[in-house]
Amino acid sequence: MIGLGIESTAHTFSCAIMEKNGKKGKILSDVRKIYRPPGGEGIHPREASRHHIENSSSVLSQCLQESKIKINDLDIISYAAGPGLGPCLRVGAVVARSLSSYYKIPIYPVNHAIGHIELGKLLTGAKNPLVLLVSGGHTMILAFLNKQWRVFGETLDITLGQLLDQFGRSIGFASPCGREIENLANTSSTYTTLPYSVKGNDVSFSGLLSATKSVVSNNKADACFSLQETAFAMISETVERALSFTEKKELLIVGGVAANKRLSEMLKDVCKRHGCKFFVTPLKFSGDCGSQICWTGLLENQVKKGASLEKTFVTQSWRLDSVVVNY
Amino acid sequence: MRLVKKGAEADIYLTKWQNSIAVLKIRKPKSYRNQILDFNLRKQRTIKESQTISEVKSLGIPTPLVYFVNLKKTSIVMQQIPGKPIHDLSNSKIISLSKQMGRLVGTLHKNGIIHGDLTTSNFILSNDKVFVIDFGLSQKTIKPEDQAVDLRLIKEILNSAHAPIMKECWKNFLSGYKLVVGTSKLLQIKDLVSVIESRGRYATVV
Repeated sequence: MIGLGIESTAHTFSCAIMEKNGKKGKILSDVRKIYRPPGGEGIHPREASRHHIENSSSVLSQCLQESKIKINDLDIISYAAGPGLGPCLRVGAVVARSLSSYYKIPIYPVNHAIGHIELGKLLTGAKNPLVLLVSGGHTMILAFLNKQWRVFGETLDITLGQLLDQFGRSIGFASPCGREIENLANTSSTYTTLPYSVKGNDVSFSGLLSATKSVVSNNKADACFSLQETAFAMISETVERALSFTEKKELLIVGGVAANKRLSEMLKDVCKRHGCKFFVTPLKFSGDCGSQICWTGLLENQVKKGASLEKTFVTQSWRLDSVVVNY
Repeated sequence: MRLVKKGAEADIYLTKWQNSIAVLKIRKPKSYRNQILDFNLRKQRTIKESQTISEVKSLGIPTPLVYFVNLKKTSIVMQQIPGKPIHDLSNSKIISLSKQMGRLVGTLHKNGIIHGDLTTSNFILSNDKVFVIDFGLSQKTIKPEDQAVDLRLIKEILNSAHAPIMKECWKNFLSGYKLVVGTSKLLQIKDLVSVIESRGRYATVV
């Protein structure tokens, strides 16, 4: 079974081709182009979607070339139908629909967040993990129960990715700013006390964001260091709470912020305390990519026929805990 | 001393205090956390927990007696409550006890205290009496918004850990809560819970 996956929820336009054999999946190609806003600014949905439109055909043809697969050999096409930015989502959906109707290939709308989890599971081999999904769009702690991913904890306001991005932009970086903040934080070890807001299994980052902005004038590196230490400690604590509550024996981190080494280091320590296995999605596939969409589509194909074209909408707000997983 | 539970925040040991069995709750340093942050959190929570436990006891809420607090070691020695957490009981038991949980939470809120970590593991059924434990994240507040955050926590846990019986539990919980705080207060807090949920990511409120 060979699938094509198209991802375009936010800053990344990506196409990937994968081959599925039983439970095994192999990534044949994964090509991406990332929209970069000017320094100090965030994603402008119109500009990002223009970027996606301009790059869609070259990304697709490069993806086909690298995989040495012809369009006619594709068994299914899947695209990210949400959650994400409307204008960006529509680009991926249009590409998917056109290919599907012209070449008569079944089409699968896929939840982007489920994609992060499924690809993470495939690449790490985690069986029944507690999942920490940390990205620009999500900050959630999840466990699978009765055919659905259930939320054990989440952010009450902005996400971890937004916290890092919005702070990064305020000191002149361009989104996504996680790596730059991490590099700068590594040069400091001076901790400034910042608001720490854990509410049971939930976290709230908005107060932390304002407070960090207000201490940044003293020293940028110290601010980055303190921001990371505080925010990641909050996440680690809620993960620890969820681990001890659910008694899961595996932890899997997925999403763009999974690339952060300091966060991984802290969570590794959490796992050690709880005798729990630690999995993190490989760096190359932790951020948004076509493979996550492709693999989820291939899984859905096991239990579902492709969607009819009238039902291939995009949904900007589509919570992953509303998706019923039957495969 | 025997380790009974390795919790998220603290380790729980069975120990002896003045010849009777007691629980030692110790918040051990966490190496992954920045040291300053770590010590501040552990100290604050140890103080908060011992204060709140004693305070809510005077409101008639069943909680363990605090015997001894050691701020340097961030540990508390308290009465052992024999029994099972509500979380581990049968579904029908959880459904019927939800009302009592709601009543207890209502009493806390009415007296200006929020628990801060409402889960089904933090209520213990002991000799037909429901005890509330783990007040490390509690706060003194009468703000309706804070109370709503408290209720949302238990709703989230019911929705995730007890998904098949969530609706009945939540209904019973609210009816118990209403008995203490009254109808108008209940409606106000329920509305606020929806507001908080709608602020969540990609939310469509259920």
